[in-house]
Amino acid sequence: MVRAQVSMVMVLDKCIGCHTCSITCKHVWTNREGQEYAWWNNVETRPGVGYPKTWEDQDKYGGGWVLENGKLKLRLEVMKKRDPPKITDYYQPYDYDYEALFTDQLQDKQPVANPINAYTGEPMDIKWSPNWDDDLAGANIYGRMDPNWRTLEKEIYFNFKNTFMFYLPRICNHCLNPACLAACPRKAIYKRPEDGIVLIDQKRCRGYRFCTIACPYKKVYYNWKTGRSEKCILCYPRVETGQPTVCTLSCVGKIRYMGVVLYDEEKVLEAASAPEQDLVRVQREIILDPFDPDVIRQAKADGVPENFIKAAQESPVYYMFKKWEIALPLHPEFRTLPMVFYVPPLNPVITALDARGKYTADYDTLIPTIDKLRIPIKYLANMFAAGNEEEVRKALKRLIAIREFFRLVEVEGKSKAEAAYVLEQNGLNLEDADKMYRWLALGRNRWIIPTRKVELRMKLPKKASGR
Amino acid sequence: MKRSWMAGLIAVLVVAAVSTGLGVILATSQAAEIAVPYIQGSLPMDPDAQLWGQLDKAQIPLTAQLIVYPLSLDTKARTLSVTAAHNGTHLAIYIEWSDDSKDVEGAPGDLYSFGDAIAVQFPVNTGAMPYICMGDTANPVNIVFWRAGKGVENLVAGSAYGQKPGQREALGLQSTATSPIEKLPPEAQIWKAEAKYENGSWKLVLIRPMGSTDPMVPSLKPGESISVAFARWEGSLHERGGSKTTSGWYTLKLEGVAAPAPAPTQTVTTTTTTTSTTTVEVIPPAIKGAVVGLIAALAITIIALIVFVARKKALTT
Repeated sequence: MVRAQVSMVMVLDKCIGCHTCSITCKHVWTNREGQEYAWWNNVETRPGVGYPKTWEDQDKYGGGWVLENGKLKLRLEVMKKRDPPKITDYYQPYDYDYEALFTDQLQDKQPVANPINAYTGEPMDIKWSPNWDDDLAGANIYGRMDPNWRTLEKEIYFNFKNTFMFYLPRICNHCLNPACLAACPRKAIYKRPEDGIVLIDQKRCRGYRFCTIACPYKKVYYNWKTGRSEKCILCYPRVETGQPTVCTLSCVGKIRYMGVVLYDEEKVLEAASAPEQDLVRVQREIILDPFDPDVIRQAKADGVPENFIKAAQESPVYYMFKKWEIALPLHPEFRTLPMVFYVPPLNPVITALDARGKYTADYDTLIPTIDKLRIPIKYLANMFAAGNEEEVRKALKRLIAIREFFRLVEVEGKSKAEAAYVLEQNGLNLEDADKMYRWLALGRNRWIIPTRKVELRMKLPKKASGR
Repeated sequence: MKRSWMAGLIAVLVVAAVSTGLGVILATSQAAEIAVPYIQGSLPMDPDAQLWGQLDKAQIPLTAQLIVYPLSLDTKARTLSVTAAHNGTHLAIYIEWSDDSKDVEGAPGDLYSFGDAIAVQFPVNTGAMPYICMGDTANPVNIVFWRAGKGVENLVAGSAYGQKPGQREALGLQSTATSPIEKLPPEAQIWKAEAKYENGSWKLVLIRPMGSTDPMVPSLKPGESISVAFARWEGSLHERGGSKTTSGWYTLKLEGVAAPAPAPTQTVTTTTTTTSTTTVEVIPPAIKGAVVGLIAALAITIIALIVFVARKKALTT
């Protein structure tokens, strides 16, 4: 059974941590009572603990799946976990007493809008909020609590010159094997067959909060006001009409890419049960080649519309995750097969002063060795490849190759044919280089989103494409 | 080949035995009655009202739900003290239970708490005794659900997949079932509740008018009986959904309005009505169920044996 999924890639190198995505999402979807604490989209600073605090620590939160004797089981069932996260795991929502700026008594000092508790209106001391690690340069303290340090000697990375950081924007992953869906006894959560968007039916939901425990990314939020849970809806009213999500549209760094991928539905369970080191590879395998005539025939037979198949052939997600293998899933070891992918940050090579006081980059060849990069490969592997360093190395090598290729052409004046060897060494070709340049550097056509219904498409411009 | 046939046969027998067993359980629990005396005047909503202290209370044992996910993690026995009264126009149910913690949900920013909760289940068709676990499509149940901090809701369960969209719309439900248990339309929200937590115990009063215009909510009449079952969720253990404790079926026996009249007339009036309901409609389904179960099991066994023998013959010849 061939199915289509609308999914996303985020290129972490380009994220500047401006939080525009979070703010636009908040204003569009969660600017309501009951969801004050909820950020369907949030941006975290890494190393750091994220939002909610140390959400990756499943011994604490009980999210995702575990493999028990070759069978997938919900971790919350294995752990017999019934406790949802507390507001303090997220943060105590606050506002500022802006009224004081207008009504304060005349005095020698400037009037101040002090923080107040969003629920009670009482003055409060802000102790924690999303991305607190970054906002107050707290990585010094919270960076050490990052669950991704496992198997790493972390202390050396907090020394001067060894430190590093990058941003991690997160939304619901609209997984192929969603743990939230499986955990709901009311069957209130469903994955739309036409585009794979995972939604919570607000009529069926009774606020049991098994989903908030089961989602390993902690991307389901309980609304205390309505007594029901809510989550990122991948802006489906926009996506249905060929428009990107608001987080994608508003992204200042143009880091977000959206497109369709076709996948083999029957292989989902098998892919989710793969051994840890194979998880990324197996997830790639179930993504199908949209140019393969057999796949096209089967997709049509299974009811995938023509415009979806065409979109899949132009999909940046297909190229970055499947073809070029430069994008990786976030924490595949949770076994939900997340469908938002990340191009890992390609970071500066560690340089050192030589005897004459000059910086020397340690180049073995023209392409520096990946392991000399500032961010430890193991750290990225723990985050994006269930610890499999090879997957990260492969992605980073290709990202360096494309830069090196254009450096040879633009700076050293070589012809493209002469420089092509850098690409070929890394399994890429000139056509790939052009596409990568167009997408990653120029940021053109960042979303290729097919509309859902012919009658809707008729009323819209021919093709909804990136700015 | 032979072995699979034998396994099939055993499975059939087991299923038959279990269904027969259920029938037997239902039949025995039917014996327990909760008397609903007739009271003149208005029924008190106040859980501390004198009346509730004066009435005899039935002790209803509850056991953990262990059939569907999510299971209850608590296996300790629980008991509800239940009594009821009616005044000819309204029915009141009073439930009292001991609870070390008062759990209320819905406070601003509270994502963690689950309220203590009670459900009282009735058959939609007063004469029937539906499947104890929230009914089935043939025999739906009407459930009144109270949760601390959230209040009271009138629900229907089991009807979801048994009716056509047109029928459902006529009942004020959504044309397509969104869930096996559904909230009834606003005009069917006839229950009022008042609860009080004091000295380690909850007291809950549930009151509804006896009559009902909604076909999913049974109408009650003085002098008649209706089956009833109870469930309780313990908030401190984070019980919700299937993670709960439940009772078997009981009978609410509503006293006739002519209660103050001398005894002989009373027996005459009630026997005429109750015999018609109890003997014809209430007890028989249970026994009928058991008998039907046994007959079905026997029939299936015989058919299986015939087929088995026939196949064996066919194989040998």
